[in-house]
Amino acid sequence: MMTYIVFILSVVFVVSFVGFSSKPSPIYGGLVLIISGAVGCGIVLSFGGSFLGLMVFLIYLGGMLVVFGYTTAMATEQYPEVWASNKAVLGAFIVGLLSELLTACYILKGDDVEVEVVLKFNGAGDWVIYDTGDSGFFSEEAMGIAALYSYGTWLVIVTGWSLFIGVLVIMEVTRGN
Amino acid sequence: MSMVYINIFLAFILSFMGLLIYRSHLMSSLLCLEGMMLSLFVMMAVTILTNHLTLASMTPIILLVFAACEAALGLSLLVMISNTYGTDYVQNLNLLQC
Repeated sequence: MMTYIVFILSVVFVVSFVGFSSKPSPIYGGLVLIISGAVGCGIVLSFGGSFLGLMVFLIYLGGMLVVFGYTTAMATEQYPEVWASNKAVLGAFIVGLLSELLTACYILKGDDVEVEVVLKFNGAGDWVIYDTGDSGFFSEEAMGIAALYSYGTWLVIVTGWSLFIGVLVIMEVTRGN
Repeated sequence: MSMVYINIFLAFILSFMGLLIYRSHLMSSLLCLEGMMLSLFVMMAVTILTNHLTLASMTPIILLVFAACEAALGLSLLVMISNTYGTDYVQNLNLLQC
């Protein structure tokens, strides 16, 4: 079962995406997005990216979704609707769930299942990453991210400047008249 | 390529369709936009980690920076709509009448 843990996590990822794409009230959508962020972090961690998984938790969940949470609490006050209280939401959720379960059962059914859309997908190498030799005692991903400040200086300048301009634009938008 | 990519791509398509099909709240569409950014981040991170593209490891962080910019801008627009109309219902945005 542990060889399929990444596939199971990706199925839970898709099911939680169905949960907020069927659009119940935004506060429940935000809750399910938090769950899908945690499961997405688990997928990234399973492939060995510990720093990128931490980025998902800190920046994405802890920064962006907290802002979404209190904006939802501020801007929408009424009786929030759950998945079961509206036929459209429930129907969309069930359709999405069924399509994902069909896909998962088709993939897990045989050992040599091969799906060709544009590229060939097969489930054989699901838990193995390509081996290019010895990388020494350091983590490649952490060194690549640390290269943001040496090779990617221009990227830092552009993103810092665009964040600064974004703050100014938001201040002008919320000023109104 | 592994089957995980199919599920993550399916998640992207689901939240993209959720973004395009409106119900009543504008906030739900913004949440679907955030879902799209999350699925793109996971797909990018998994591809980089599988193929050992070391220097490309900074691109998920850059994606997250620009996704934060766009989320903040969308939220500020939603706040202004909510200040004008009282709620963030999509049916309030009918000034164009076409």
